[in-house]
Amino acid sequence: MSAPSLGTAPVGGPPPPVPVYAAILEPFTVTEPATQPAPATTAPPVVVARGLTKTYDTGDSRVHALAGVDVEFHRGAFTAIMGPSGSGKSTLMHCLAGLDAPTSGTVHLGGTPITGLRDKELTLLRRDRIGFVFQAFNLLPMLTAEQNILLPSQIARRPVDRERFAHIVEVVGLRDRLGHLPAKLSGGQQQRVAVARALLNAPEVVYADEPTGNLDSRSGAEILEFLRDSARDLDQTVVMVTHDPVAASYADRVVFLRDGRLVDEVADPTAETVSSRLLKLEA
Amino acid sequence: MLRTTLAGLRLHRSRYVTTVLAILLGVMFVSGTMVFADTLNADYEESVMGSATGVDAIAEPAAPEPPVDEGPEPLTGDHLEEVRALPETASAGGLVRSRVVLLDAEGRAFGFMPPAAVAFDGPVRFSAAEGALPSDGGEIALATSTAEQAGFGVGDTVTVLDRREREREFTVTGLVNFGVDPSYSGNGAVVLDPGTLEKVAGATGYTEIDAVAAEGYSDREAADAVAAALGSAAEVATGEEFGLALAESFGAPTEMLRIALLLFAFISMFVAGIVIYNTFAILIAQRQRELALLRCVGAQRSQVFRSVLAESAVVGLVASALGVLAGTGVGVAGSAVVGPLVTGTETGADAVVTPVAVLTGLAVGTAVTVCSALIPAVRATRVAPLVALRTSAAAAGLEKGTGRVRVAAGTVLFAGAAALVALTRSTGPTQEGPVLVTAAALVAFVGVVVLGPLLVRGAVRVLGLPLRRAGVASTLAVDNSARSPRRAATAMIALTVGATLMTGYSVVSASLETTMTAQLEEQFPIEYQLNPQFSLEETGPDEEPAVPTVPAEVREALADEPTVEAVYGQRTTQVTLDDGTPLSVMTYTGAVIGTDLATDAVEGDVSGMGPGKVLLVEHYAEAAGAGVGDTYTVPVEGGTDLELEVAALTDGSGRFWGATLDEADFTAAFPEVDGDEVLFVDGADGADPAALREAVFAAVDDHPTVQVGSAAEIKEQFSSVMDVAFYTIAALLGLAIVIAVFGISNTMALSVLERTRESALLRALGLARSQLRRMLSVEAVLLCLIGAGIGIVFGVLFGWAAIGSVLPDPQISVPLGQIAVFVAIAVLAGLLASVVPGRRAAGTSITGALASE
Repeated sequence: MSAPSLGTAPVGGPPPPVPVYAAILEPFTVTEPATQPAPATTAPPVVVARGLTKTYDTGDSRVHALAGVDVEFHRGAFTAIMGPSGSGKSTLMHCLAGLDAPTSGTVHLGGTPITGLRDKELTLLRRDRIGFVFQAFNLLPMLTAEQNILLPSQIARRPVDRERFAHIVEVVGLRDRLGHLPAKLSGGQQQRVAVARALLNAPEVVYADEPTGNLDSRSGAEILEFLRDSARDLDQTVVMVTHDPVAASYADRVVFLRDGRLVDEVADPTAETVSSRLLKLEA
Repeated sequence: MLRTTLAGLRLHRSRYVTTVLAILLGVMFVSGTMVFADTLNADYEESVMGSATGVDAIAEPAAPEPPVDEGPEPLTGDHLEEVRALPETASAGGLVRSRVVLLDAEGRAFGFMPPAAVAFDGPVRFSAAEGALPSDGGEIALATSTAEQAGFGVGDTVTVLDRREREREFTVTGLVNFGVDPSYSGNGAVVLDPGTLEKVAGATGYTEIDAVAAEGYSDREAADAVAAALGSAAEVATGEEFGLALAESFGAPTEMLRIALLLFAFISMFVAGIVIYNTFAILIAQRQRELALLRCVGAQRSQVFRSVLAESAVVGLVASALGVLAGTGVGVAGSAVVGPLVTGTETGADAVVTPVAVLTGLAVGTAVTVCSALIPAVRATRVAPLVALRTSAAAAGLEKGTGRVRVAAGTVLFAGAAALVALTRSTGPTQEGPVLVTAAALVAFVGVVVLGPLLVRGAVRVLGLPLRRAGVASTLAVDNSARSPRRAATAMIALTVGATLMTGYSVVSASLETTMTAQLEEQFPIEYQLNPQFSLEETGPDEEPAVPTVPAEVREALADEPTVEAVYGQRTTQVTLDDGTPLSVMTYTGAVIGTDLATDAVEGDVSGMGPGKVLLVEHYAEAAGAGVGDTYTVPVEGGTDLELEVAALTDGSGRFWGATLDEADFTAAFPEVDGDEVLFVDGADGADPAALREAVFAAVDDHPTVQVGSAAEIKEQFSSVMDVAFYTIAALLGLAIVIAVFGISNTMALSVLERTRESALLRALGLARSQLRRMLSVEAVLLCLIGAGIGIVFGVLFGWAAIGSVLPDPQISVPLGQIAVFVAIAVLAGLLASVVPGRRAAGTSITGALASE
């Protein structure tokens, strides 16, 4: 392995962003189909991926899950990654989040190149700088809602910002559910616990993988509103993988993936525009 | 359906590895024991038959008619001549047997009893295995085992004492293998030529006449001819019959060994059964959707049931077959090592692998597996087809709370066990005591099984308190161990079985040792004990059997020694009470009873003893209706009966059994008993132990047959015997513990499998691999500690109860050192049990685990 890539210190590139909570993103003005990736903001992007490829060897054939993806995500932006099944959207998210290693290409998180990091460093990176919300099985069944929310802080032995905790719990409406085990919570409540957990440490980026996939439309809408509000109000960067045009319409920006390539992008989407793009892609 | 079963088995092979190992170990123990015992038996038979079939007819003196209480009349030279003259016999030899004292290399008498001294008059069934038989008065042959124990070989010079205790020297010319016949192997044997034996030991007559059939006659015909010639004087058998009878009567020790080993094998199989049950229960729980799918596509309940049983049968059969193979190896190796020690034969017989041993192993292993899978199989049939359509809930693997019925049943069982133990405490030591304690332990154990999940939950809560402070990995481990308490309880109980037995035995063993040592010290504050070697002199039929005594010079010599404080002698005789029961009457010469020798009296006070008084064992007093202070009559044959006042009653377990008289009364009533059977030497205060030892040995220097025992040596011997027993039993129980650890590892591995997504989530949230591994280690250690902890508590409790039910006044000793070792072993076992599951959990890819359902 290459020696210089050890450690989490930024190697060249933009300096690590200073949390600037004042910078609130304004809605984009681009509403009509744009064929070119539009620059979202002037601030340096939080996550930058360049030339990402991921190839799987399945016996005889080689499958290109990612075939050269360049993408970036800006602070405080809520971005949805969309695409048909098998387009590589989950793989992209896993590579961006340091859960999986790309075959080639680089990913930077806040200036830190994360491709090439060793498992231990990736673990610390995920622990300290990334938040996760998964589709299902987000919570540990033997821990209460509160314990689940505090789990990453405990793993990191990080003092908990009780004020922020109280605020987030209040916002997601879990205050009287904190002592419950996940089994006693509804699907929507469980997912709210997961969102609260992801937001508590103010990570540089929150990745959400089909966060509403298992929910009814009302609970799903609540979760999406939380994610959108956290991006707007808390300046939280959120990247969400989904195949639901309605879910994607909550985002500020939607990027479309097909056959492992970034093929389209919509800013300030509505469910209709997203659907029509998708239909076009699938055709 | 069978095809589905087999396909499933192939797919999930790895899940059965530890189950297979558990069965394998259990079966290995069973069939290993069988092969071991069978091979030892064959060894016995071979060595016995080997010598007996060398001749065709064996005549032994006929046992006298029942009313006569004396030994058989030996066969005479005339008898031998008659046998030799028979046309059916080609040759015949007589065997003369007596005893002589053989001195070992240090000049002390060899053995507790003098070895057999035999002479071969003509060809007999024994011959020299090495060298030659003695041919004149200066030569001797030794039994192979005797030569080995005493450290003599061919060409050495050995000393034998004749009947007048004069030393005679002989040169060893050969070694004779007498095999397992205890007449020769028990105390050893020497072979002299017939004339010398008569001179040295004064023996005449034959204890056995062996004949070889003449050509053209079968062994049966020869034996019949010999029987006809000797008439009622002898009992005649063919060589083969004789050998078979001998093998049968002395095959018993191997059978005892077989039963004892099978008992431990049973424990191992029992533990293996628990492990198998838990594995199947977990697998069925994990495969709910699979089973539901089978039901959806039309499988009937009975088919699901049969499928699970078929699966267990295949697993059981394969594992048992492997176990039988391993067991055969272990049995062969074991008999090769232990065989010579037990049978005394040099060349072990070939390994005996009987079909019974193989079939027993296969049947036991398969049956235990299938039976253990029965309940899980029934549970499998209850899975509703609808489950297949349900998505898995986040609460997978969480169990419902344990019911009140469980608590009530467990409490009743514990109360029952406590009542049984209380019963044994109130009645004191009885014959039924140990049985009751065992029953109580079993009842309490069922209670643990019933209450297991609650115990796990409670113990985790308590043990978890300090662990929760140790970091997130430990905290998660504590939460994990309590999430499926039923599963954890079953895994833990397998270990509890072994831990209970181990601790129980160590408490019994330690208490026994402490009690014995204390009794020894309390009743006998002596340094040395001198015993004569057992009787040399052949006594005539009319005489009382002479009790050997320590020569008076020894006592006198010791009394003059400055290092010796006092010498006490023990004298006993037998009298017959009016109702015909015998009574031992004894006294201690030179000792003040109650001061020099004391014991706790059942009633009265031993120190109140004196002339005109008697110490009496309880039941004699009861039979005579006499209490302390009453008069008790000791009948004296040919003299005036003694009328004595009962000073105290004893329990007869210590130094005072029968009726103990004052020295003066005893000497007056039984003047003919003038020798000390045992001498007790009390060293002077502050005397140099080495000087005392030298003085004692100097006193017996001229009396090589007097055996010197020191209290320290006796204690040491006793504790070394206890130690050997402890380590043997610990090793045998060890296998059950190993199986239990496999079970815990298996439970962990299956839980890890079930929690794959959880582990992935934790890793995604930033838990390091090492933390994940530590989490599983802590969980396994916690489980092992709880299992071992309950076992230790039970072991101490029932060890205490068991000792109390056997000994009247036991000193309970809890071997804390050993228990600390058990706890350490439990921690180590937990760490080992978590190695494989930990690796698997840490090695799984996060994205793969998150993607897979």
